[in-house]
Amino acid sequence: MATITIDSVEHEFEAGMNLFEAIREANGEPLPHFCYHPGLSIAGVCRMCQVEIEGAPKLVVACNATVRDGMVVHTRSERVNRAVQSILNFHLLHHPVDCPVCDQAGECSLQDFYMEHGLYESEIDIEDKIAKGKVKPIGELVMLDAERCVLCARCTRFTSEVTKTHELGIFNRGNHAEIDVAPGMTLDNNYSLNTVDLCPVGALTSRDFRFQKRVWWLSENDSVCTGCATGCNMTVHHDADVAYRFKPRHNDAVNGYWMCDEGRLGYKQLNAESRLGQPLIDGSESSWEAAFEIIRQAVAGSQVAFVGSPHATLEELFALRRVAEAASADLLGYRLAGTERGEADDLLVSADRTPNATGAARLGLREFDADALASIAGKVVFVLQNDLAGLDEAAAVALKSASCVVLLATDANATASLAKVVLPIRNAAEKTGTLVNGQGRAQALNVALGAPEHSRDAIAVLRRIAQLLGHEFAWEDAQALCSELAGTVEGFAALSGGCGELGVNLDAGAPTTVGGEVQS
Amino acid sequence: MADCPLILSANFDKADSHTLAVYERDGGYSALRETLGKTTPEQLREEVKNSGLRGRGGAGFPAGVKWGFVPQDTGKKIYLLVNADESEPGTFKDRFILDYDPHLMIEGSILASYAINSGHCFIYIRGEYAWLVDRVQAAVDEAYAAGLLGRDILGSGYSLEMIVHRGAGAYICGEETGLINSLEGRKGQPRIKPPFPAVVGFLDCPTIVNNVETLAAVPWIVNNGAAAYTAIGTEKSPGTKLFSVSGPLKRPGVYEIPLGMPLRDLIFGEDYCQGMAPGVELKACIPGGSSVPILTAEETMSANCCYESLAEHGTMLGSGGAIVIGHETNMVELLKVLLQFYHHESCGQCTPCREGTGWLDMIVDRLLQGRGRPADLELLEHVCEGMIGNTICVLADAAVMPARSFIEKFKNEFEALLPEMEEPQDYVPTTSAAELPH
Repeated sequence: MATITIDSVEHEFEAGMNLFEAIREANGEPLPHFCYHPGLSIAGVCRMCQVEIEGAPKLVVACNATVRDGMVVHTRSERVNRAVQSILNFHLLHHPVDCPVCDQAGECSLQDFYMEHGLYESEIDIEDKIAKGKVKPIGELVMLDAERCVLCARCTRFTSEVTKTHELGIFNRGNHAEIDVAPGMTLDNNYSLNTVDLCPVGALTSRDFRFQKRVWWLSENDSVCTGCATGCNMTVHHDADVAYRFKPRHNDAVNGYWMCDEGRLGYKQLNAESRLGQPLIDGSESSWEAAFEIIRQAVAGSQVAFVGSPHATLEELFALRRVAEAASADLLGYRLAGTERGEADDLLVSADRTPNATGAARLGLREFDADALASIAGKVVFVLQNDLAGLDEAAAVALKSASCVVLLATDANATASLAKVVLPIRNAAEKTGTLVNGQGRAQALNVALGAPEHSRDAIAVLRRIAQLLGHEFAWEDAQALCSELAGTVEGFAALSGGCGELGVNLDAGAPTTVGGEVQS
Repeated sequence: MADCPLILSANFDKADSHTLAVYERDGGYSALRETLGKTTPEQLREEVKNSGLRGRGGAGFPAGVKWGFVPQDTGKKIYLLVNADESEPGTFKDRFILDYDPHLMIEGSILASYAINSGHCFIYIRGEYAWLVDRVQAAVDEAYAAGLLGRDILGSGYSLEMIVHRGAGAYICGEETGLINSLEGRKGQPRIKPPFPAVVGFLDCPTIVNNVETLAAVPWIVNNGAAAYTAIGTEKSPGTKLFSVSGPLKRPGVYEIPLGMPLRDLIFGEDYCQGMAPGVELKACIPGGSSVPILTAEETMSANCCYESLAEHGTMLGSGGAIVIGHETNMVELLKVLLQFYHHESCGQCTPCREGTGWLDMIVDRLLQGRGRPADLELLEHVCEGMIGNTICVLADAAVMPARSFIEKFKNEFEALLPEMEEPQDYVPTTSAAELPH
């Protein structure tokens, strides 16, 4: 350990720790900065994080310095303030200051630091400003405005160090330097929107999100991406129960600072037209009571079967298992074998494109093939959030042989059009619950959006179905089920204290503590 | 001063001085022959350290000390890079060594490589010195053919590969880490330090970058000993130095002088520039390449050509590129020329330099265009203050030092271009957020 003095207060840090991070921790806020990012190499070019270190002749950029025992650092001295002020002035010299029409406004480092350190006077005539490219689409999802760029080189470091795809570069020298795509290339790798997150100003904006919403109207909730078995930690940005974007949330054990574009655009599904708002009977909107009445009549004297899903939460699947066990009914499994798989990549995307296959398997559910569905002929089959008919034609045929299909679903799909009864349940942004990623890490979903008025929590629906089958359960909610799971089922003891913000490894037990909000 | 030995320029005037035959005829490569197999690298490092030889590229860092920074136990390759990217305005002394005595540099480079246990040496030559690439390559080829380079040099067991590399023409590639990036095939822009190249340099290996002239002094030091070298010059500036002198002079050119010699002797001495051209009076002198603060005529007459005297006069020895300025030169126009250069050559990565060099250029340009503003001199100083010391390399400082000193010492010429105002207005770097009404 090393004792260092930051702004007259002594702190203990590991010797050799990055000084920028030590100051962030000590002062509770980062130094002004554009180019520093903990997920990238050190560039040291924006010069905003300069501090005064006693004994050093010049100011030092904190991002490239390390903690030494006995170090005395001043981050707010007159000398530092003057330097930061003039450097910010340099950053703004040729900047168009078009905040009113810039989509970054409200989450722009340049704006924020300007409020704190700005000189508040234009230093240059508008005709003397260097004109650069504006509104240039450089990829399917990313728009470039080179005039707003502060040349921090975060995006170029990202494409050279993280994706190693090298689409972006800084071209020309001096004050004619500008970011652009390399000749003949476009920024169209599956991680392109991370450059938008990384961009501290409005130079790179998301073509999907820009002009959709001013950021200060957005609320954020922690969640987990459900696009594949990686389970990238993310935040849902929303307003008035409409999701506007997903952004990655830092978790070194899962996704670092990044997220793939495909997962990121998964927010669209939350707002989709296909969202179910009312129970359906034979495809027509109806009421819950009418739907339950149909089910009550159907199950009388009939055999029943259940089908799970790798999209359902651990708690929902546990409830399904309990109901099936109580009814001595067949629980076919959680997934049609061979479906919902794709290519993995070297970064984050898993071959398994479902969020909870590992959790389902740990609960003892199996994969099954379409032949196994032959057993549902003549039975009442309850399908939890699984579009069997959409995934496999043979499954669709098998479903038609059932006496009655009851589907619990968030959205209309092929299976819904075959079902006698469709019950609208809450989607991943409308409920709490636990998903287990491909590495056996349990991670929490949280409520971000208000659910459609007539949708219900799947757990409550399953409890009602159990009642109709003559079995009473006392579960109130997902949390109660999670506690029960942790206490009674082998392999889930680690869930007893919940997942925490960053998830818990079911095999290791201890919640991970590295991570938090994505640094910007 | 005529009795001072010529350490660097002894061969310049000989016919075919660039050939191995002429170089060896007059004792060339004897230092190498005397060293390999007889002196250890440690002993050679110590000898050069004792000679007090300082880097001649501009920074003046002691060469032997720099060699001592190379960690010898990393298991990585060690590289010597010869900095022949001479591009500072007013500096053209390395060109003479490359052109007239390339073997002197090659012998010095082999000795330096041996001293730091390097088996690989690159000579990075400025892109615009295209013809010198051929000249140096021919000399390297001769040295290979003679067994002075390559495997098992002169049967000593020591091996060295030497590769000539031509730059693409960027001033910033003369900065040692810019040079390293360029040599690696990257964009030529300096690296943030630490780590320093001696520890993490070319291809992330320990690397020493030395100027041509620095290396060219090594054979003489080996042949004559550190004591003979320190006997020349002053205590803090031992040895001799090449000065490239330009300007309205009777005999501008490259001269080797013992350090400590009065600057006025270099300009007016019969053995050197022989004074100003007819009808021209001395107005000022930039003694060490365009990046160092300027001296007035009076200061020029009292300064000596050594690190300490020039420091006392508020300037630097730099590269030894002395630019002598005559009385008819307008200093604002001259500053514009220099600022245009730094504006053009800024690599653009650090904000204060990227924006500052262009801004200084713009302000001086508008003064010359008759569009100056009352507070422009204060604004220039404000921009200078924001630039100096605030960047990864010293290109920003190199632009600021002439700008500040030109304005300070020739203020009347700048003021003459300011518009007349009824009331003078000061440039005020306005309010901060805290002072603004919320």
